[in-house]
Amino acid sequence: MRFKKILRPWCGWMAVVCFLLTFTGLAAQAKDLKFEARLIWATHAQKSPDPNHKPVTAEVRKKLEALPLKWANYFEVSRKNLAVPRGGSEQVTLSDQCRMGVKDVKGEYIEVSQIGKGVPVLKLTQRLPKGEMLVLSGNAPDATGWLVVLKRVE
Amino acid sequence: MTAEQQLKLQALLDGELPEKEARETAAWVARDAEAADLARELRQTRQALADAEPGLRVAESREFYWSRIERDIRRLEQAPTLSQPVSVLARLRRLLVPVSAVAALVVIVLATGLWVGFWGRPIRPDTEMTMADSGAFTYHDYANGTTLVWLDYPAER
Repeated sequence: MRFKKILRPWCGWMAVVCFLLTFTGLAAQAKDLKFEARLIWATHAQKSPDPNHKPVTAEVRKKLEALPLKWANYFEVSRKNLAVPRGGSEQVTLSDQCRMGVKDVKGEYIEVSQIGKGVPVLKLTQRLPKGEMLVLSGNAPDATGWLVVLKRVE
Repeated sequence: MTAEQQLKLQALLDGELPEKEARETAAWVARDAEAADLARELRQTRQALADAEPGLRVAESREFYWSRIERDIRRLEQAPTLSQPVSVLARLRRLLVPVSAVAALVVIVLATGLWVGFWGRPIRPDTEMTMADSGAFTYHDYANGTTLVWLDYPAER
């Protein structure tokens, strides 16, 4: 009897805590995956001939310089944000010739597809935790290069 | 005197020879001085050993002595049946120890499996390309959290 008296208020609090934990977990799981997609032009030139091109941010530059890439400078051609729903997919156009799609795979992996000049070029699946970057890259005319950088924001 | 003759003489003194052979050997000992000396020496040795043996005697009678040993043996045989009966709780506890050990082991294995992502999660490579050109390669910079996928597209012309 005495034991029950002691236990009764605790049971109420425990129920509240369990309720909150469950719904917090569900809410966290239902959140969209957020990405930043950038199309970058890589060159040895100090300046881009296109005045619309901006040098990449210091953070992106630092990460690109750590990769085995041959170029000295990187200019941002375009930047788009993507919000991919859990279990869903989203596409984004980075230029007239470059589109990319991101699909959530079981909440753990992402499937990235790239379409260049209307032709599927690449499809890959990998983990991309928050803050990490996936860089797709290739050569472009005149010893320059193109990069598509996908960064997980949330 | 050969070793065989010495052994035969010894057997004679121990009364181990057949009657005919014993007679022949006794006649040989009577004729041969060396054999007679050896026979005398062996008899003296046997007598000395018999005299030197201590005559130990048990205070109790033979029957009483052995009956006591028999009682002790019977008491030891009956000892387990005289012990107190084992309670159900004690038996359960005895069973619970190995069962708990096995359960703990299973929990540890399962927890480790979950921790390393072995259960319910397919083992996948870091990056799995399902479509790419033949010249594509992947580079992981784990320190910076960056993955580079190099493609031949569009080829430089």
